[in-house]
Amino acid sequence: MSLKKTLFDPLFENNPIALQILGICSALAVTTKLESVLVMCLAVIVVTAFSNLSVSLIRNHVPSSIRIIVMMTIIASLVIVTDQILKAFVYDVAKSMSVYIGLIITNCIVMGRAEAYAMKNGPIMALVDGIGNGIGYSVVLIFVGIFRELFGSGKLLGYNIMTPISEGGWYQPNGMALLSPSAFFLIGIFIWILRTVKKDQVESSN
Amino acid sequence: MSNDSTSKTLIVATLLCVICSIVVSSTAVQLKPMQVRNKKLDIKKNLLVTAGLVDDSAEEKQIVEAFKAVETKVVDLETGAYADIDPESYDARKAAKNPKLNYKIPAEKDLANIKSRAKYGKVYLIKDGETVKNFVFPVHGKGLWSTMYGFLVLENDLNTVKGLGFYEHGETPGLGGEVDNPNWKANWNGKKVFNDAMKPVIKVVKGIAEEDAKYKIDGLSGATITSNGVTGLVRYWLSENAFGSFIKKYKAGSI
Amino acid sequence: MKKLQHLLESQEHHFVNGGKLEKFYPIYEMLDTFVFTPSDVSKGSVHVRDAIDLKRTMITVVVALAPCILMALYNTGYQANKVIASMVTTPTGWRSDIMLALGLAYNPTDIISNFVHGLLYFLPIFLTTQIAGGACEVIFATVRKHEINEGFLVTGMLYPLTLPATIPLWQVAVGIIFGVVIGKEVFGGTGKNFLNPALTARAFLYFAYPAQISGDKVWTAVDGYSGATALGQAALGGVEKISFSWWDSFIGLVPGSMGETSTLAALIGAVILIASGIGSWRIIVSVFASAAFFAFILNTIGSETNMMFSVTPAWHMVIGGLAFGAVFMATDPVSASMTNLGHWWYGALIGFMTILVRVINPAFPEGIMLAILFANCFAPLIDYFVVQGNIKRRAERVKA
Repeated sequence: MSLKKTLFDPLFENNPIALQILGICSALAVTTKLESVLVMCLAVIVVTAFSNLSVSLIRNHVPSSIRIIVMMTIIASLVIVTDQILKAFVYDVAKSMSVYIGLIITNCIVMGRAEAYAMKNGPIMALVDGIGNGIGYSVVLIFVGIFRELFGSGKLLGYNIMTPISEGGWYQPNGMALLSPSAFFLIGIFIWILRTVKKDQVESSN
Repeated sequence: MSNDSTSKTLIVATLLCVICSIVVSSTAVQLKPMQVRNKKLDIKKNLLVTAGLVDDSAEEKQIVEAFKAVETKVVDLETGAYADIDPESYDARKAAKNPKLNYKIPAEKDLANIKSRAKYGKVYLIKDGETVKNFVFPVHGKGLWSTMYGFLVLENDLNTVKGLGFYEHGETPGLGGEVDNPNWKANWNGKKVFNDAMKPVIKVVKGIAEEDAKYKIDGLSGATITSNGVTGLVRYWLSENAFGSFIKKYKAGSI
Repeated sequence: MKKLQHLLESQEHHFVNGGKLEKFYPIYEMLDTFVFTPSDVSKGSVHVRDAIDLKRTMITVVVALAPCILMALYNTGYQANKVIASMVTTPTGWRSDIMLALGLAYNPTDIISNFVHGLLYFLPIFLTTQIAGGACEVIFATVRKHEINEGFLVTGMLYPLTLPATIPLWQVAVGIIFGVVIGKEVFGGTGKNFLNPALTARAFLYFAYPAQISGDKVWTAVDGYSGATALGQAALGGVEKISFSWWDSFIGLVPGSMGETSTLAALIGAVILIASGIGSWRIIVSVFASAAFFAFILNTIGSETNMMFSVTPAWHMVIGGLAFGAVFMATDPVSASMTNLGHWWYGALIGFMTILVRVINPAFPEGIMLAILFANCFAPLIDYFVVQGNIKRRAERVKA
């Protein structure tokens, strides 16, 4: 596969959330505000990229009996480091996301890519694949985040787009958008749109 | 050496663990001071915002500058006198969980529904030169879903409210979550907390409070339990069982 | 009538394959079959021959709803008039202009005035539902090239009845669009939805705009008037705090969502549904029995801090939307269990969850809506176990 295809395929052709349905839980938890979405996306891109890179670098020396635990150790270390850095430099955002940065460890996309791709491919391709999948994850998260913040509080990145009634405007915020289930509906709608455009992603009915 | 031999497995595992632990521990140690500073700054900021000294977008410099006017004291909640504890290192939230440092609140007095509290509480005095302008009491209590943490700011008569703000809660967005709403918080300004017998009687009512009712705050619509929770926690922390003894002592001039 | 038939037939060629309005065939088909019995017969193998088709089923449900709708009109007007009569100021706005033009006073003892005043609140909500929800149906039918069926007729009747009279009309529209699209169309349309669309729409509003659909201010159609429902009162002070009599609650002369207040009207509807064989009596009986049973248990256990424990089973039956939900929402043949034994379990789950939410959950005073949606999700599972149980039993019999 070409470098370009490895990087861009996970965006729409083979999106980790929309097609593989991985990494849903953080998509529910952190998407009420676009700001935390962006930080989360960045964190996930960094973690998938570097976990893929490191796993790929040592792939020829990892005994298959302990490969899962090796990958977990690498991913966990990367996540802890990311968490520490966020707490040190963007404390406000890190605080509002509480445990969810730490929970990147449990994000199936990271582990999935390490096992499915990085163990079999060279470091550069693995790095690109990690970035691509991180971006694919980000596309869905940003989609969800934009709608949730816009409908839930009438804002984007904290700036008033539709001024809510409580601040003297006209917009009646949609409380549903602030609750986690709304992310399910939005991801569903995203998949719906995607599969209407790309018919080959529709599973055959059984 | 085969990849799957026992010795190779052991070597890889050991090496990986060593490298990972070095990376993790060195970042943690390196960044620790910044994190601690952030955390303290965050609490200071919340306090100052509630007291109306800075606004939400304040930078670190402004916060540090504004906080110079704040004197922190640790109070023994039983006697109401200042305790000889360093306010910098004392964490009331941690102490509330420590069986040596906490106090089990008797059920009939536990208006805030928190079961236990620290024996010592922090009080922040906001000063203008030598005179105390405002008193800030950290308060917390149960709402509908979560424990709400916040600050209650009183004027120097220790009766008039300057402001009430929560910096941590998990109430329903749009209903109980409206405790964060600036319009609702503005309601508190100028209300009185104690009646003539020094009993805290302030109350978040159901619906709209009458214009001149000095002990009543508008209710949060559709959030009766959160509203009652706010009433309970404010009343508890001002009662004899908490900061009440300090307030009495201070008013009598014996501090 | 002949002329209309002629007109429709003469226009048909535009809509069939190849005609210039081919895309709008569903709309034509809807009008045609709504007015006339279609002449074409089923092709292929048909298993059941019966006079009952979807259209007739839905019309029967609408007939069964009539008592609830009448009661909704009367009670909405009655509650508003009662409050206005006791106030000094008189209301303004287009509704009062119409009332004035008709020469009607806000008099709670005047039956006509109550009906008209109620109608002035119900009608805009009803029309908004029909227009917004109907538009969604037409768009989906046109895009997917299937016929518009009558499933929406019932949804569009049930949904306004579950709302308070004071709800803003734009919220009515947003709610029903969500209910029709997410509750039904994404799964393939009428007959394939696993959730009740009317309840999905209401649940959406309940979580999206709680201030306009819960609390004390929304139930009486008078600006700024605050009056709690019986459930709201019971949640605060137990059964002694309910300021209405049991009989008022039973007949439905209490504040609440427009169509849910009258247990009597719901029971009349139940008789029609059961007599015509459309609603399952097993579900209705099971919901009531299980709710009464669990209410009795919780009432016997009692609690010092939670006032809802003091509400007796008899009260639980008549307050809130239990009866309306049990009769019209739980029996929806598409989203309920299909098997007879499954009906019992399904109903029991609804009754149990309703009481559980009402009594134990501190946030939601009413539980029937959430209970039915919850049971909707479990209906296929219940059926699966019932069918597996049957297979097992028969296999044993064969062996023996």
